[in-house]
This record gives sequence, C-alpha cells and structure tokens, in this order.
Amino acid sequence: MRRAAFLAIAAVALLALAELALPQVLNRYYATIGVRILVAVLAATSLQLVNGFTGQFSIGHAGFMAVGAYASAALSVYLGAGWLEALQSVLPQPLARLAYFPLPLLAGGLAASLAGLVVGVPSLRLRGDYLAIATLGFGEIIRIAILNVDAVGGARGFALSAPAGVDLRYEGLGMIGAVVVLSLLVMARLVYAPGGLAFRAVREDEIAAEAMGIPTTRVKVEAFVVASFFAGVAGALFAHAEGYVHTNSFTFVRSFELVAFVVLGGLGSFTGAAIAAAGLTAAPELLRGLGEWRMILYSVLIIATMILRPQGLLGSRELSLARLRRRPGTAAAGAG
Amino acid sequence: MSGDLLVLDSVTVRFGGLTAVSALDLRVGPNELVALIGPNGAGKTTAFNIITGVYAPSAGRVVFAGREIGGERPHRICRLGIARTFQNIRLFAGLSVLDNVQAALCGGQRSGVADVLRGPGWRRRQQEHAARARELLAQLGLERFAEARADSLPYGEQRRLEIARALATGPRLLLLDEPAAGMNPSEKEALRGFIARVRREFGIAIVLIDHDIPFVMNLCDRVAVLDHGEKIAEGAPEKVKRDPRVIEAYLGADGAHA
Amino acid sequence: MEQFFQQLLNGIAWGGIYALVALGYTMVYGVLRLINFAHGEVYMVGAMTGYYVAHALSLGREPSLAGLVVVLLAAMGACALLGATIERVAYRPLRGAGRLAPLITAIGVSLLLQNAGQLVFGADPKFFPPLLASRESFRVGALAVSNIQLTVITTVVVLMAGLQLIVNRTRFGRAMRAVSMDAPAAALMGVPVDRVISGTFVLGSVLAAAAGILVGLSNPKIDPLMGLLPGLKAFVAAVLGGIGSIPGAMAGGLLLGIVETLVSGYLSSTYRDAIAFVILIAILLYRPTGLFGTA
Repeated sequence: MRRAAFLAIAAVALLALAELALPQVLNRYYATIGVRILVAVLAATSLQLVNGFTGQFSIGHAGFMAVGAYASAALSVYLGAGWLEALQSVLPQPLARLAYFPLPLLAGGLAASLAGLVVGVPSLRLRGDYLAIATLGFGEIIRIAILNVDAVGGARGFALSAPAGVDLRYEGLGMIGAVVVLSLLVMARLVYAPGGLAFRAVREDEIAAEAMGIPTTRVKVEAFVVASFFAGVAGALFAHAEGYVHTNSFTFVRSFELVAFVVLGGLGSFTGAAIAAAGLTAAPELLRGLGEWRMILYSVLIIATMILRPQGLLGSRELSLARLRRRPGTAAAGAG
Repeated sequence: MSGDLLVLDSVTVRFGGLTAVSALDLRVGPNELVALIGPNGAGKTTAFNIITGVYAPSAGRVVFAGREIGGERPHRICRLGIARTFQNIRLFAGLSVLDNVQAALCGGQRSGVADVLRGPGWRRRQQEHAARARELLAQLGLERFAEARADSLPYGEQRRLEIARALATGPRLLLLDEPAAGMNPSEKEALRGFIARVRREFGIAIVLIDHDIPFVMNLCDRVAVLDHGEKIAEGAPEKVKRDPRVIEAYLGADGAHA
Repeated sequence: MEQFFQQLLNGIAWGGIYALVALGYTMVYGVLRLINFAHGEVYMVGAMTGYYVAHALSLGREPSLAGLVVVLLAAMGACALLGATIERVAYRPLRGAGRLAPLITAIGVSLLLQNAGQLVFGADPKFFPPLLASRESFRVGALAVSNIQLTVITTVVVLMAGLQLIVNRTRFGRAMRAVSMDAPAAALMGVPVDRVISGTFVLGSVLAAAAGILVGLSNPKIDPLMGLLPGLKAFVAAVLGGIGSIPGAMAGGLLLGIVETLVSGYLSSTYRDAIAFVILIAILLYRPTGLFGTA
C-alpha cells in the first residue's frame, strides 16, 4: 500500500504539471475521451466500495452521479460565476480557475453523499435482490425528480452558462486526473486499514461480523455514503467538463454499465474496476469505426465474461507490480 | 449468587405458535465451564441466540455482569464481553487467517480520516495491531497459517480459528456452539484439551453446546440438559449422566447415546 | 365523474398490459430466483415482430380481427423462441453460480437486445399499422368504451385465464409450481427441471409478446428502446404483487396501471413515470414480500 501511495502522489504531481502541457499536446477528441474515462473510473471504483468490498448489491449508482452533476452545476451557475469572476480580478486566470474548481466538486460530492444517506438508511435494511431493486428504484426517482426541477433546466438539460469572461467549464485533463487519483487513494486507504476490514467482514458473513462486534448496518451505510460522495464528484467532473448536463446521461442503463465495470474487473478489486471502466469506456470510442456493432460487442463481452470467467479480471485482488514480476506458477501471497 | 457473570432468568422464546425455549434459568460464574446439552431441536442454539442478541426474549431477563442485555443488538453485546462461535462454521472465508482475527480485534473501530492521512504514528499502530493478532494466533497454535485463506484450512483448524477470532474480541464469556461437530474421536480429544487450556489461559467463562455426553465429561464443571425447550436436569456431569429423565430424552429422541 | 370512470378504464387497460409482462418476471423469478432484466426487450421484439408481419401481410390496409390474431400468433411464436434461446444460451450455463452472475448476464442480454434491436430495426420509431379501425364500441352512460380498449381487456382476460388453466390444471403447471417451491426436491422427484424452466421462459415470453402487440394497437408509435421503462415498471408491478406470485403479478399490474393513470390524469403527468418507483420503495420498506407474497 505504501508504494502505491507514493506512486499515486507522484502521479498527482506529474499530472498537475502536465496540466500545463497537455492542452497543447492532446487533441480535443482524445481529451474528451480522456475525461470520460477518468469519470468512469471514479464512478466505478466508488461503486466497488459498496458492491465489491461491502458485498451490498447496489444498482442505482448513476443517480448519485446525477445529484453530484446537477448540484455542482447549480452551484457554479447560480453562485460560482460570481466567485470565479471575483477571483479572476485578483489572481491570474489559471490560478483563479484552479482555486475555484474544487468548490463545485465538493458541493457535488456532499450533495450526493446526503442523497446516499437518505437512500442508504432505509434500503440497507433489505437484503440481496430487494436491496438491488430498492437502489434501482431510488436511482430512477432521483432522475425523474431532477427532470422536474425547472431551475436546473428540466427536460431541456442544464448548461453551464456564465457571463462573458467567465468560463465555468473545466477540462484540464491533468487536474481531473489528479482528482481521480486522489479519490482512489482515499478510498483504498479507508478499505485497506485495520478498521477497514469491517467492510469485507460484512461482505463475507454479516451474521458473524455482527457477532464479532462490528455494527453492520452502520458499516453498510458508511460505505454507501462514501461511495455516493465520490460518485457525486465524478458527476461534478463530468458536468464541468461537458459544460452541459442532462439526466439522459444518468439513466439506469448507466447504472448497469457501472455494475458491469465492477463485476468484470473483479468484485473486491479497485484496480480491476478501474481497468474495466477505462477499457470499456475507451473501447467503444476507439472502435467507432465499427459503428453500431461496438455496443453489441460490449454487451456480448459482458455475457461471455460472466459465463467463462465470472470472477472477472482480477478477482478480489488488486493489481500489484510485485506480483506481475513474479514468475507465473509461484504461489501468490494471501488476499491483498 | 451476585457473583454470577451471566444470568438467564425464566427466559422464554416464542416464534409464532412455537415455543422454542420455555422458562429457562441458567447461571454462569466468571470462570466456569458449563455445558448445555440435549437432543436435536432442544433449543440450545436458540438459547445462545438469545444471549448474543440475535433474538429478543419473549419473556424473562438476560443479565450479564449485572446489566440487562435482553433485546440488545448483537454487536453491542459483543462489545460488552460476550463472544461466540457457530454451529456451522462462519469464518470470513475469503479473508486470510490473520485478517479474520484482526477484523474481530478491531471490531469496534472503523477506518476514518486518520487512516486516510496516515500520519506519523499510524504505521506503528498498524504494526502493533498485527503483532497482537499474531500473538493470539501463536497462543492458539495457528501462526503458521497466518497468510492463508481462512477457507483453505483443514476442518479442525477452521474450528480453532473461529475460537481464536471470538477470543480476539476480548470477551469475558465465550459461547461455543457444537465446536466438536464433524470431528473424529482423536480430534475431539485435542479440542477438549484446547478448550480447557483456553479457559485456563484466558480466565474466561465458557458455555458450550454439544449433544455428546462423553465429550463434556471431565471437561465441564456443570452440565445443563435441555429437552423441547425446557431444562430437565442440571448438575455435575456424572450425576446428570445417570438422571433417568436425561436418559429418556436421549434414548427417546435418537436412541443411541449413553 | 365520467372522467373518473374513463380514466379508470384506461388504467385497467394499461394495467392488464403491465400484468402480462409482470407475469413473465414473476414466473422466472419463481423458478430461478432470477430477475430477468432482458424481459422488457422480449416485449419490444413482440411489438416489432407484429409490425413486420402486419406489413408483410398488408394487414394495415384492411383492419380485421383475423389479422390481429395472425399477428398475435406470429409475435408469440417469435418471442417464445427468443425467450427459450436466452435461457439456454445465457442463463443455463450459470445455474448454480450464485445470484450475481446471472443478474449481470441478464443486464448484458438486455443491453445486447436493445442495441441489436437498434441495428436490425433501425433506431427510428415506427408506426404500428392499425389492425383495428379505432371506433367506439359501446357506451355505458357517458362512459365510452372503444373497440381497442375492449380488445385489449378481452385479450388480457383470455390470456390470464389460459395461464391459470395451465398453472393449476396441467402437469406442466404442477411441475412449474414444484420447481418454484423447491427445485432440488422437484428434481429428485423426477421433474425435468431444465424443461420446466425452458417452458416457463416460453410462457412468460408469449405473454410479453401479446403485451407488445396490444401496446402497438393502443399506442402505435414503437421503437427498439420501448422495452426499457415499461419493462422496469412491469417488474415493479411484479414486486408490488409479491415477486414469485402469479396472482400477485396480475393484481400488481392492474393496480399499477390504475394508480399511474389516475395520478397522471388528476395530479400531474410529468410525475407519471416516478409513481411506479415511489410505489416500489414504499412496498420494499413496508411490505417487501408484496401484497400476495408470503413473509
């Protein structure tokens, strides 16, 4: 874990620096895909916390992304434009934008985690299929509720419009990447700590966990709230990169995609979910030449994986450079 | 009798029309080893579930260390000092042996900001935790399995791991539900020695469920016999073994015990 | 007041359609404990098949009951095949693999059918040919009952009666109930579990096909993604009635259709889609086993 942390911090630093160079180096199309990939990675890994590590089957996660996207967008449009303008009058523009950007992200995350609490407390009393259905239902309720709020555009969607001279959009791949890497680090540290064993204990055997002094309901709700926070951040990143939000980006099909990323990557592996999310988000884009067939290929891949390799790519292990270097056939150490 | 650690006072448990446990009185002192025996379906596991909070009593009181615990949630009861194992092993199968114990060791804690920031003392505290867990494993003869997956252990070792995990919560009372189930005679012998040693070295009270009278002889201070939810006999193992009602309960039920 | 009864009638017609689809979900859940997310797409294929057959036979030009029956049978046949194929290819290999893998696969199949549908049928909406010339059938006081509504309700009643017959009076029905109650025991008793499960899928798909055609009759605009939301709502109806319970699915569907139509008519139509999910949450929190489910 320690090495991973150093790598992560190094990556963040590099990304922050690259922020300056990337807009010139990367063309627009790839930059957009890059953002989509990063958003998918954050959303999928946040879901992994609930589904993979705590063993609770949540299939309405896109709803929390929607809350984050819309809350952050509303903040930016109604309050943020003014703040950014003020900042820009005292700081050079890039610095002002850098100082402002975390605010809508935080707002999105907090709003989404509140939604997570409201959804989680009643739902997590249910088990298995019923929990899944409840989360699906809540995801839809959230989406439809947002659709009916005119202040954020309703059925027309919501554009991040601002007065001249102020650009609320943020597409800096470097900084977005840094946010995602940091978020992943936070989640990984929460799980891979002695107190974090509680999540996996609940997944393995809830009754036994309860008997060993672990307050299972509280643990489940905590996982849910943290996961929805980061889903909200992912939604906020998406909203500010695109400059426009619509609930069509957050339907239950999107929720299903996130579940697919988590399961295909391996339940219980952050890196697995990240790889699956990145690969499956990039592939349809890069395979655009195939036209309609790419989505079909994608769904066939899901079905084939479940039948042929149900534990997904990495099972419940994290990608470990040390393990990659070891010769195949050598016994690997126990669960990371 | 105020020195008793655990007191069940006329505890009754009803599920709809069925009375699983009826007016059960039971007392356990601080370092006693008591056996709860009886034919299948006598209500022994239900009694355990009442004590650990899985069910709330329909009537009667459960008092632990002077405090009423009837109806409390299981994790709170564990924090108060009661730990248990299960009739069908319930290990954290996908986790390592060490993690199983650590999870129980840290049951009351949760990861938080300190774990995200990992300031100077964090690593040291982490190592102390792991060391305590390993110590416990060593004390119970399981240290060589520390990194192995819990479900990869041989059956007897899995049973012992479940006990180790329960002990990691620092209990004053340990409830063992059929710890010898599925074992052959020599494994049972080893387990008896193990349980006696645990009682001695940890200074705790133990209540164990079994339906095998020879197993509990020479191990327990006292035996209580349940049949159809009622206590029909209690006392020293030798005396209980000869009680006619006990013999009838066993012979009447599955006809092959002595 | 007539407004109320008019709405009620609409609600009953819609409810009947939801019920037909809900039955498929509930029966499959009963025998496999699987939520077949791909079921909504089967309904869509039913509607699409009906569309193509109706065009091929030029039935739109001369509306007739016979034409309707032909289209129904064609759709039912196609969907029966589809349902059986899905079960055989995607779900059977995962029998005994836990609850999660089949659920993900179901999601995969659903996505596959949606996208294949867009590829094969084209993403643009199509217009179901008028198999029956819409006209008012009769009146009860001020209440107007159109022939389409009559057809829908009659078809639903006939199909449900047929289903009840199959489930309660045939060997297959008995076998299906046995597998629902205890599949391993049923297998030990000599029940051909694989065939029963296949048959259950076929039965459910046939009903979904009929629902697709009836929707085509009432709301002629159809498209490859039409199965998503109605599928989900029908599923909610099944949960409302008690997932796994056949009378439950019938009651749940009916109730959902009526409540949705009344609320949409009297309160606000923008929240129409949300009703189903609010009902879902309420049911899950207060009576998760549903109206007819056993606790």
